[in-house]
Amino acid sequence: MECLNDGCPKTHEEDIMDIPLDDPEANKAAAKIQASFRGHMTRKKMKEDKPREEKRQEQK
Amino acid sequence: MAPKKDAKAAPAKKAEPAKAAAPAPAPEPDVVAAPPPLDLSTVKVEFTPDQHEDYKEAFGLFDRVGDAKVAYNQVADIMRALGQNPTNKEVRKVLGNPSDEDMAAKRLEFEAFLPMLQHIVNDPNKGTFDDYVEGLRVFDKEGNGTVMGAELRIVLGTLGEKMSEAEIDALMQGQEDENGSINFEAFVKHIMSI
Repeated sequence: MECLNDGCPKTHEEDIMDIPLDDPEANKAAAKIQASFRGHMTRKKMKEDKPREEKRQEQK
Repeated sequence: MAPKKDAKAAPAKKAEPAKAAAPAPAPEPDVVAAPPPLDLSTVKVEFTPDQHEDYKEAFGLFDRVGDAKVAYNQVADIMRALGQNPTNKEVRKVLGNPSDEDMAAKRLEFEAFLPMLQHIVNDPNKGTFDDYVEGLRVFDKEGNGTVMGAELRIVLGTLGEKMSEAEIDALMQGQEDENGSINFEAFVKHIMSI
């Protein structure tokens, strides 16, 4: 992408290029964090669903 | 080998063809050999009777068929519901590296699930508060304890076990301040609180 002037806005692509896509350590760290996020979201959802689930279990 | 486990027999058969597909007949010294399949028979299940009961109850909540089993593709969520944070890769490993079809079709009984859960519980490499904070600090460009929500969204969607847009939206809801920044220590505390 050619920049004609000096004041080139930082593009989305440049942001992505800062991100270490091929770095195995970065990916490993990311996977660990994502795992904690997924764990949190599942538990949060279970908490919110609990009253409905208990009703469903009683009807079994 | 425990006779009742149908979960083990199939993966053992499937592992062979995958290994035979490697082109080089003799492995080179610096090629990392595939890790041996996980042997769950060595895992000692050490849950208390109370835990056993709690886990059985949670397991039952996920049984939508009524056969006292759950689908392979539900196992990650059950473990999360029980307070663990396994990566999807770790879950597939304890399941014996099933195919995508197996993940959708195969079902697991509670007694087979327990050593898998124990293995995840025993993992010495579990993430800690510091791990997560330091992981996020990498993206703290100004060194002020915050990361840009927009950048975190990109990271979560492109690195590691990529998250979907829906997952990221759910996670980030209400987390960014008026400048679109997130205080990552507070964020991690919030994540770990439940």
